[in-house]
Amino acid sequence: MNRFSRIAFLLAAGCLLSAGCGKTPNASYRLNMVEATKQRLTTEQEQQVATVLLAMFGTPDDPVALPEFGLDEAKLRLASGPVRSDIVGRKNGLYREHCAHCHGVTGDGMGPTAAFLNPYPRDYRPGVFKFKSTERADKPTHADLLRILRNGIAGTSMPSFALLSEPQIDALAEYVKYLSIRGETELSLMRAFFELDDDAQGKLPETREFLVDETAGPIAEKWKSAAAAQIPVPDMPADIDLVASIAKGRELFYGDKANCVKCHGVTGLGDGQANDYDDWNKAIVEINKEIQGGLAKAGETSTSGMSSEDAAEHRKQVAWLGKFSHVVDGDALTPRTIPPRNLRLGVYRGGRRPLDLYYRIHAGINGAPMPAAKGTVPPEDIWHIVNYIRSLPYEFDGELGADRPMVARDRF
Amino acid sequence: MSRSQAETPKTGLAHAVACVLVAVTSVLLCFGALVTTFDAAMAVPDWPGTYGHNMFLFPWAEWFYGPWDLFLEHGHRLLGALVGMISLVLAAVVWRTHQSPAVRGLAAAAVLLVLVQGVLGGARVLLDDKTVAKVHACTGPLFFAVAVAIATLTRRSSSSQSATSSAAVRSAGGLALATYVQLVAGAQLRHLDASVDPATFRWLVAFHLAGAAAVAALAVAAVLCTRSCGQPIARRWSLAILLLVGCQLALGVGAWVVNWGLPSGWLPASWAFSDPLLARSVWGATVVTGHVVLGMMILGASVVLSIATGVLRSAVKSTVRPQQADRLRERAFA
Repeated sequence: MNRFSRIAFLLAAGCLLSAGCGKTPNASYRLNMVEATKQRLTTEQEQQVATVLLAMFGTPDDPVALPEFGLDEAKLRLASGPVRSDIVGRKNGLYREHCAHCHGVTGDGMGPTAAFLNPYPRDYRPGVFKFKSTERADKPTHADLLRILRNGIAGTSMPSFALLSEPQIDALAEYVKYLSIRGETELSLMRAFFELDDDAQGKLPETREFLVDETAGPIAEKWKSAAAAQIPVPDMPADIDLVASIAKGRELFYGDKANCVKCHGVTGLGDGQANDYDDWNKAIVEINKEIQGGLAKAGETSTSGMSSEDAAEHRKQVAWLGKFSHVVDGDALTPRTIPPRNLRLGVYRGGRRPLDLYYRIHAGINGAPMPAAKGTVPPEDIWHIVNYIRSLPYEFDGELGADRPMVARDRF
Repeated sequence: MSRSQAETPKTGLAHAVACVLVAVTSVLLCFGALVTTFDAAMAVPDWPGTYGHNMFLFPWAEWFYGPWDLFLEHGHRLLGALVGMISLVLAAVVWRTHQSPAVRGLAAAAVLLVLVQGVLGGARVLLDDKTVAKVHACTGPLFFAVAVAIATLTRRSSSSQSATSSAAVRSAGGLALATYVQLVAGAQLRHLDASVDPATFRWLVAFHLAGAAAVAALAVAAVLCTRSCGQPIARRWSLAILLLVGCQLALGVGAWVVNWGLPSGWLPASWAFSDPLLARSVWGATVVTGHVVLGMMILGASVVLSIATGVLRSAVKSTVRPQQADRLRERAFA
């Protein structure tokens, strides 16, 4: 074989190898294996959950929404399935085209690109969303989701989809709600096994009362009632003296009541307490601690003095810890701490409008260590903090060694 | 009359057709890259027809003024068909002008590849399958490389080129091979199935980055090896490739940034964009598509360099067949 033939052969082989091992399988939802393992579900129980979810929610290519969920199936069909468009340019499969590479087909925040992104893409399954106009524990409104899709999230990899049409953005927001309801229902079903009676023989009741009225229905209801849970925002006083307001805001920022300084630091550079995790990462950190602690304890325990039943139980526990460790490695991303925001950059993830900052301070950020000022700081004082925060990128700060006011970007 | 002068008309025709093939294929590759960038592959659900019409009889106004996705996908098909026809013409011309076995082999390979590529394109649509799309994306550059090789080998002056150092041959051949492997890796990233786990994507990115480093190193090596090889054309091509590789690295970084932004958390927070990225922007699509197309151009240039440095030297040397020389002798010197 001469050189030319060898090169041709290598190219052809490379081309064929690149094809992978066969046809791409149809998209499917991934079971939440971290929760399933945590709840010590058997294979049969995992299968039951998967079957129930399939019946209630369908597949990524053919989603189903029960009337109780209050979701628009026409919008779901526009967003779901593989990417395709018709002769007039109407596009289907919007979620797969624009979102799934980061958020994953299941909405578990485990899309192919997820490991490279910082912060990680949102996992919709716990039903927790950060940037919204509702109280901390409430779901976001449909308008909140639309705003995030339209504006993107500055300082992260979440882009603005402003170039999509309104019906397309609307369909994507609906699909995000669908995935979130599905994910939260999955979590509830997995946790429900723990509360089963002995009579149930380890099987969930497959009745409408249990599955819809008791499990998925209340979750969907929270989404439906989100609009009513919107935070009432008092208008910023029209005759407000901005300089005095900023000074008051500064006082609150450094004071005990708002205590923003604890995390955002005395300079506002986000250099305060920076070793905390958001809820998604914290859950994995705690699981890892449980596994490491369990394995260390198991390593110290000798089975020689145990009864055969205790020894069997011990071995079972060690096997479960090993399995759990393996599942977490494969189904979760390495936890990362969440640094407090650098307020001198003028980059606000939840939106740069004063109203957005008001919501963040009033309700805190759900899923993040940022606490709610509601109940501690009166609404009019929240406006003062908003004004101070908005002034921070331009504030002269002698502590930083500057001898003149500088915009944030000149400082670094 | 010298031998090369006598061969000019026939060899020139093959070269001209091959150049047309390379030019049209370049446009075809741009359309193909845009189809992937805009996820427009399924804008036409049937094949080989287009919405029930014969592909060539689909109303042109509906195509040209229609939706962007339809414009890309149907345009890609029309250009593919055109490339297929030019490949057939080229094969006929190559045979009629008695080119060397290597050139005839390449012309036959071009016809075979374009047929396979057409069928793969159809299968990608009919099966709506990403795996087929990946193979389709790997065959495209291969066909382009073959077309460039034919155009280079049928060039009149190529027969007078002599081999350079073995290091130059190795670096040029290695560069072409590494560039193709990079395009294959890029195709895996571009046609990634959303169900793939993050670990696989991480591995692919690492491979693509390592490949970029290898291509850059080989491009530098090619410049160094051809510096004193006595082949000015090889030197010029190697320098041009180095420049293209530099642009390609910048486009690669750009392709990441327009898709996912600056890697915040890895870079200082002050580097974060104050405005979010804009999905599906013209700027973003241009950078990402440009990265793919420039990769193809580097492959084409590497093939030219490989031939200029002496890879396929035997093919160049035997461009004129003995029987042809006999006929020429009878005609010109009898």
